[in-house]
Amino acid sequence: MSSLVGFISLALAVIINIFLLISNFFIKYNNKIFNLIIKVSSILTIISFFSLMYAYIVSDFSNFNVFQNSHSEKPLIYKISGTWGNHEGSMLLWLSILSIYGFFFSRTENINIKFKQQTLLIQSFLHVLFGLFIVFTSNPFLVNSVIVKEGLGLNPILQDPGLAIHPPILYAGYVGYSIVFSLAIAGLFSDSDNKGWIFVTKRWALISWTFLTGGIALGSYWAYYELGWGGWWFWDPVENISLMPWIAGLALVHSLLMAKGEQIIKKWIIFLSILCFSLSVFGTFLVRSGILTSVHSFASDASRGLFILLIFFIITGFGFLVFLLKTPENSKPINFLFINKVSALVINNILMIIATLTILLGTIYPIIVEVLTNDRISVGGPYFNSTVIPIMIPGFLLMSIAPILSWQTNRIRNARLYVIGFIAISLLVLVQSYLSTFNTWGVLGLILGIWIITASFISIISSYKIDFNFKLLQKINPHIAHIGVGIAIIGITCSSVFKNEYDFNLNEGDTVQIEDTIVKLEKIEMTNEVNFQALRANFLIERNKKVVANIKAGKNYYPVSKMITTEAGIYHELYKDIYFIVGDQKDKNWFVKVYINPFVSFIWIGVLIMVVSGFIGVTRK
Amino acid sequence: MKRLIVLSPLVILLIICFFILIYLLSNKDPSKPPSALINKDIPIFESKSLYETDKIIKSQDFKNKKVLINFFASWCLPCKVEHPLFFEISENYPDLFMLGFNHKDKSEDAKNYLSEDGNPYDFVGVDSDGMIALEFGVFGLPETFLINEKGKIIYKFMGPLTKEIIKNEIIPLL
Amino acid sequence: MKLYHSCRKIAFVNLFVFISFFEVFADGTLDEKVKNLTLELRCMTCQNQSIYDSEADFSKDIKKIVRTKFEEGKSEKEIKLFLVERYGEYILFKPLLNYKNWFLWSFPFIFLMFGLFFIGLKIRKN
Repeated sequence: MSSLVGFISLALAVIINIFLLISNFFIKYNNKIFNLIIKVSSILTIISFFSLMYAYIVSDFSNFNVFQNSHSEKPLIYKISGTWGNHEGSMLLWLSILSIYGFFFSRTENINIKFKQQTLLIQSFLHVLFGLFIVFTSNPFLVNSVIVKEGLGLNPILQDPGLAIHPPILYAGYVGYSIVFSLAIAGLFSDSDNKGWIFVTKRWALISWTFLTGGIALGSYWAYYELGWGGWWFWDPVENISLMPWIAGLALVHSLLMAKGEQIIKKWIIFLSILCFSLSVFGTFLVRSGILTSVHSFASDASRGLFILLIFFIITGFGFLVFLLKTPENSKPINFLFINKVSALVINNILMIIATLTILLGTIYPIIVEVLTNDRISVGGPYFNSTVIPIMIPGFLLMSIAPILSWQTNRIRNARLYVIGFIAISLLVLVQSYLSTFNTWGVLGLILGIWIITASFISIISSYKIDFNFKLLQKINPHIAHIGVGIAIIGITCSSVFKNEYDFNLNEGDTVQIEDTIVKLEKIEMTNEVNFQALRANFLIERNKKVVANIKAGKNYYPVSKMITTEAGIYHELYKDIYFIVGDQKDKNWFVKVYINPFVSFIWIGVLIMVVSGFIGVTRK
Repeated sequence: MKRLIVLSPLVILLIICFFILIYLLSNKDPSKPPSALINKDIPIFESKSLYETDKIIKSQDFKNKKVLINFFASWCLPCKVEHPLFFEISENYPDLFMLGFNHKDKSEDAKNYLSEDGNPYDFVGVDSDGMIALEFGVFGLPETFLINEKGKIIYKFMGPLTKEIIKNEIIPLL
Repeated sequence: MKLYHSCRKIAFVNLFVFISFFEVFADGTLDEKVKNLTLELRCMTCQNQSIYDSEADFSKDIKKIVRTKFEEGKSEKEIKLFLVERYGEYILFKPLLNYKNWFLWSFPFIFLMFGLFFIGLKIRKN
């Protein structure tokens, strides 16, 4: 029953949007009716989504999708997250977010009504494309042909709180770019120079970027504790693909900043707007097409690949074709000096685009080579580390001083303070690393991170009168975001350069010393949980002869799907994580791997600051 | 010039879509990389027989002979699935030399396996430490190779063979 | 203050890296070499995992081979070529610099030069 409701409302929403698109050529809608149509289509899509969710909650196995991906014994929260834990459901989630965003956008005020309607028409066009894709190739409401009492279970690797909320947040980011895309296209069609466009674009670009940041960080945190490899970023195709719209979005947000200095490069902003959404579609859909191998295992089906490719081609092709035919001219020449805010922003934009294109090339290069030569190559971490990171470093250096540069002149206020600060920090880091072990990347990263934080603090203190209220917070918000980046850079550098690992073969009761910590393998237990069997080793962490923590690490066995997952145990401290993995048993001893990951928590703290600052930025007028 | 720059995203898009399209249409399997050894000489190896330890087979031994090489083990379930198909091949093509490599197995288990399910191989070589498999670039069982009279590897298949694959891909090469 | 504190902490961490490095210095260089190389190799039976990080049978074999080859005095390049001959370039996470991959490796730098040229032009104009 719920499947029927779901399917009908999904189909109705698509039909309404098709009707809106066609009728628009003949009828001039007034604002009220137009908004009503958008509202009805959004509500229908959401009804469709919730009826799928309902089917999951009540374990309605007459729905084929529920039967394949759920199981009545699963905890409620994973039944709910199971709704989007599979291809069909996640596509419906994508469409629902598209509708919700469209609805909120239709309520935006102080913006030209004709412009708004054009934007919404493009949204409706997107709705139709994705809607047809779902109806014809990924219908989550198919009826199960046989009557069954039990489902086939959800991929156990998805039974995890981090991953349960990861897709909605990531999609909230990806789909947000659709509004930016539609705004850009509508902007190309409407020839009038309107200021409202910049403001609205900025808001939506920031919303999407912020959600995307959160989504990527969650995915990466998930990889950190779930994969059990001790790392949190693997330059995996799926990760690369989410990183591309993120960097492009960062470039977009920054180029929109130039609007504040009356330096609008309309052409560039529109190009980035189209690029961001294209990369989002490319990302979500390429992952689903099954032509990439990835650690973030997805159920994929190559037969959908063609449809997916077609949609990507239509959207991107349409966007760039309109861009080609209606290329806007820059109204004013930009004020580009050797070192002012404009040049810093332009250089930063160029670097980010080069980084994005390099990641794109690295991700699809194996496909090109295999088609041309029938050989398969891998492009992995070492390639990206030696290309993308060097490209980004000058950008990070610029970033530290960019907020204090002036729009019009070459001069920097308090320049001497910054120069002294930079030299002092560099010397400090260099001396300390010569005293311990010298590592070029380590030194570079630490100098960058600490310098960015310091420079941001110097400029906050020297440029603003400090009285604590929300207005001030809004004003210094760019600096806060940059402090977040600095903290994250420190975390990234330390956790990848100064990571240590130790292998042990331990029996119950054994004690080992790892750096300044004493670890005791207290006991090993096997327990039966609701839907899996758990093997857990209990480690006692001792400092100064006192037990400070009790960490469990082990493996889960999921009988329904016959899968084993690693459950890493992590002892979090501000300055380091102690990361435990339990391997196989051999002659009574268990293989235990311990990673000491310094400053990992700084990455998450840094990202959190960026996310908070992103949301503060949205509130700014 | 300016037009050209604005045109470039469309050109890049076309190139990307073109390659992905061909990739999708060619039905490539991301989990099965093409072998690096196709059209290369058979790697040099030496292996003892499973049954008579003083009998040794070497890569030079099959001049002017077509050889089918199959890596198997008693612990490998998919090997059991493809196993009966080798009898059909050896019946229909008596000239074909069938070489089986017993991969990382106990010789007792291997002997039991071959006496239960039958032995289609002309020679069963022992590869207890997996070093021969390494020479052949094998990384998952079962894998099957076809060697021509000149001692070149002309075909490789990963995973269990099926009737269709034998009919469509192997028999035309024999 | 915070800065000082974090620096001290880093010094602390580094000190341990330093000590543990010297403790195993005797065979540390071989271990390091094996680690650095196997980090750049793909575990063919896993999903996008390096041989170093993987505990799969295949990875254990390759680790062993790499170690013996190093002990025989082979260079990193020779070992890479040995593996590529058998498993194809797919096993290398860092693509070789050959005719197939020249575009992959040169593109970022060509593009960077292009960007610098563009910026230089703009500054000149103003």
